[in-house]
Amino acid sequence: MAKRKPKTNERAAAKPMSELSPADRKTLTALTGLGERVIACAERSRPPHLDIPSRTLSNVRFNQSKRILEMGSGTNRRELFNLSQAKAYMQTLLVGTGAKRLIEQGKTTSLRGLYYMLKHTIEGTKEETFDEQGESDSMIEDAEVLLNALREELHLYAQKRGEMVGPITVIDSGDEIDCTRMGSGGYGIPSIVEPDRIQFRNCKATFILHVEKDTVWQRFNEDKFWRKHNCILTHGAGQPPRGVRRMLYRLNAELGLPIYCVLDNDPWGYYIYSVIKQGSINLAYESKRMAIPSVRFLGLRSIDFERCRLTPSVQIRLNDQDRKRAKQIAGYPWFANKRPWQKEIDLMLKNGFKLEVESLISKDISYVTEEYVPTRLAESDFLD
Amino acid sequence: MAAKQREISVSEFFTKNKHLLGFDNPRKALLTTVKEAVDNSLDACEEAGIVPEIWVKLTQVKPNHFRVSVQDNGPGIVKNQIPLIFGKLLYGSKFHRLRMSRGQQGIGISAAGMNGWMTTGAPVKIISKIGANKPAHYFEIQINTQLNRPEIKNGKGEGVDIPAGPKGLEYLASQGIEWVATYEARDGVPERDVKSGTRVTIELAAKYQRGRGSVDEYIELTAIANPHVTLHFEDPDGNPRTYARSTRHLPPEPKEIKPHPYGVELGTLVTMFERTKAPTLGQFFVTSFSRVSSAVARRICERAGVGIRMSPKNVPSEKANGLYQAIQETRIKAPTTDCIAPIGEDLLLKGLRHVLPGEFYCAATRPPAVYRGNPFLIEVGLTYGGGGSVEKVSLDVLRELLSQTDARTLRQFLINTFDGLGPDAADRILAEAEAGTRVAPGKLKPKDIERLFESMRNISVGDGQVMQVLRYANRVPLQFKQRDCAITDSVIQTNWRAYGLSQSRGALPAGPVSVMVHIASVWVPFTSESKEAIASYPEIQKELRLALQAVGRKLGMYLRRRKRVQQEGERRSIFLRYLGEVASAVGEINGVDADGLYGQLLKVAKRKTAEADMKLDERGKAIADEHSAFGDNVIIVEQDAKTMFGERATAAPSGNSPRSATAG
Repeated sequence: MAKRKPKTNERAAAKPMSELSPADRKTLTALTGLGERVIACAERSRPPHLDIPSRTLSNVRFNQSKRILEMGSGTNRRELFNLSQAKAYMQTLLVGTGAKRLIEQGKTTSLRGLYYMLKHTIEGTKEETFDEQGESDSMIEDAEVLLNALREELHLYAQKRGEMVGPITVIDSGDEIDCTRMGSGGYGIPSIVEPDRIQFRNCKATFILHVEKDTVWQRFNEDKFWRKHNCILTHGAGQPPRGVRRMLYRLNAELGLPIYCVLDNDPWGYYIYSVIKQGSINLAYESKRMAIPSVRFLGLRSIDFERCRLTPSVQIRLNDQDRKRAKQIAGYPWFANKRPWQKEIDLMLKNGFKLEVESLISKDISYVTEEYVPTRLAESDFLD
Repeated sequence: MAAKQREISVSEFFTKNKHLLGFDNPRKALLTTVKEAVDNSLDACEEAGIVPEIWVKLTQVKPNHFRVSVQDNGPGIVKNQIPLIFGKLLYGSKFHRLRMSRGQQGIGISAAGMNGWMTTGAPVKIISKIGANKPAHYFEIQINTQLNRPEIKNGKGEGVDIPAGPKGLEYLASQGIEWVATYEARDGVPERDVKSGTRVTIELAAKYQRGRGSVDEYIELTAIANPHVTLHFEDPDGNPRTYARSTRHLPPEPKEIKPHPYGVELGTLVTMFERTKAPTLGQFFVTSFSRVSSAVARRICERAGVGIRMSPKNVPSEKANGLYQAIQETRIKAPTTDCIAPIGEDLLLKGLRHVLPGEFYCAATRPPAVYRGNPFLIEVGLTYGGGGSVEKVSLDVLRELLSQTDARTLRQFLINTFDGLGPDAADRILAEAEAGTRVAPGKLKPKDIERLFESMRNISVGDGQVMQVLRYANRVPLQFKQRDCAITDSVIQTNWRAYGLSQSRGALPAGPVSVMVHIASVWVPFTSESKEAIASYPEIQKELRLALQAVGRKLGMYLRRRKRVQQEGERRSIFLRYLGEVASAVGEINGVDADGLYGQLLKVAKRKTAEADMKLDERGKAIADEHSAFGDNVIIVEQDAKTMFGERATAAPSGNSPRSATAG
């Protein structure tokens, strides 16, 4: 049966090893090592397997001194000769071939692009190698931890999300971008923002204001908040993608800009803050390059309903899932011993409602940019 | 009123109650006639120690008028007995003794002859020959129903003697009388003369229809339970079929026994008192019954308060009742059971294997037991797998079946005609054939029939199939009243789910299974004279249950093993599916030879799945010889290795191969 699958794409002139960057060479070596382990197993008639570092809550621990999430040493074994794992094993290796092709040709592609690159019918069957993109996405994350290589190093990028604006010039792949002259839009933060692609120039900002979503960001941009307060204004369209997080990290680490967040007063907002600050569970292995322990939570706070004298009509009632999630977040070790955070979450639960940033518009259209945020900043009123 | 009272002759009684004997409809009449003749022939052969060979021929004389001819190679019948055996009801050697035999009462063949004469006016024709050089006797007999007496029609009431040798054969030919004079050459044995035997020919109003409850089925069932018999059958269309014997060993001759006291009823006891020649009660008990010693006789008499020296003829009726009670209360040893000749597990397997296709066969024979003083014995054989009757049928036969059936709808036709075909399977066949369920079977166009035939082939009816229960009493198949029979009850009450079959409450289990149940006894307790169903005595039910459980356990083991092998096959096919991809991926990453790597991985895959497959028993222990776990009396037909191990055949056309896994 199935011999080699017919080559659909004749390999375009592959760059010789010497022309590759050191990062690419490292990735390729890791890939070859992966294949060699399979060959070694086959030669000794042993069933091949992969030990993949586990990306679960149980294998994540909070590093108290660095105040970031780190991945533990736990691994999951993935075996070729195991009914429930055989397909995943094959898919992991397929992602390896995809990465190799991209590196050798010096190109990058999106997650969806890789999905299409690797998707084909298994010879002699009606089964597809990948049925949906979700399958290949999770295999890519496995490959990252398995090869100890970042997604960027596998020449893959995610969908671009999030924008920034403010007194800074960004050099993106050689192009100078003045972020003060972005019009009504902003500079779309790319998925890959590594130093070899993106450099900073002429930063005059003194801090960064990160807001949750595009609509709020538009408000701030229209009111030219960043000009008045001399700051960089970013948003991550909800849960910020890696590019945005990495960009924030670099701005904070390289330029020493403090970061303040304006997020919704709900468990989702708390979690976004948690991810920016400590890192996410799923990508714990990247915390050291993304987590920003010094970030601050500016609002909205549970006390804001009374403090800003909002009308009851802006309340959104908490549902059971919200309550459950809030309790879960309150129990995270990095929140557990912070009294103000415990009080904050308790109060929200006691209120029984959540507040969106947009609810402040009920006071005045520019209340948030002219009153709320400036006051908080002036009073240094924020949660850590 | 009193003037109208008069004696009713037995023959008259039966002409008015034909259903009691199995002549209630033309189709059943044909079967009963064949059956009585064949049963008699087999009994005669076995008693004479001759390996039986039977020729059965059905000829259609007119519409709904058939001629049945059955010839055996038995010892033949002496001249003056012939008219009585075939022309007098309740005349026979079997009624007054307790001995295992097919016939019991001596009603059968004479009733068949009577039915034939009543419906067509044709006499019963008998030819019998008792030795190679002896003349054959030829009689045409008719029964006088008033007097229950035979009347000989030919040779001026004396019958005709046909001389032996070629001259006699010429005479037979000139008279248009059939007689098989030679055995066919077979297995290197040349043609030989048939030295003796009897041929009975009966014409009757009848209807010939294949399917369930047919003559064809009876012949097949008889072949299963009588592997020592060669059966030749020619149906009305002239298609000959032969079921060759698979052994030449006759079943051991059953011994005749005296009745056991527990099995005797009060009335019988009184009759025995009157008829006995024994001078005292003590001697009466010892000589008339089995298992009664003089000590036991004394105990019975003491318990009843009757003197042991009293003459049986003088026992007053209330004392007779006392004696009857005393018998029930006295401990008497169970009757000897050596009077029963089981088919034997070995021959049961041979018989099943010979006639029913399948992949697994097992059998169990219970030790003899006793009900109401009558020894009996239960044997069970089981076949698993193999196509049902649906897959065996040919296109021509299907056409014919369709034209003959009296079912109103096609669905009904399928369910009624084919054994083990449940409503589910019928629906699937009809859906595949794109035929409506309510179409009349007779109105199908030739093209529709072809499509129906195709879909009967293609649909795997194994899932929708219901267990087929083959019932036998003293080697005679029971084809009717399945629902009223103790055997069917016991099969339904057995928990087949424990043995890997699916079964709904109060129903026969599903699956391609046939169970053959044989009850052998000196006196089989039928529920009626037409001998179609076994009565439920607790002792019989218990033995049935134990026997069914014995074969069930073996089936369960086999099915578990089969399932495991199948699972391994599926497992392997899943691995194989991904191996190619893995090999070429590694080939691309490392630049090694993907084919070589594939070969190496394939080896690992085979070893990995072979490790788990065959060598374990159901407790997971490794066993050296897989057959030994089943014990004796099991035949496993090895399956095609490809379908067993899921070595993926790219296009499996038949629905029978284990379904290929879609999980992944």
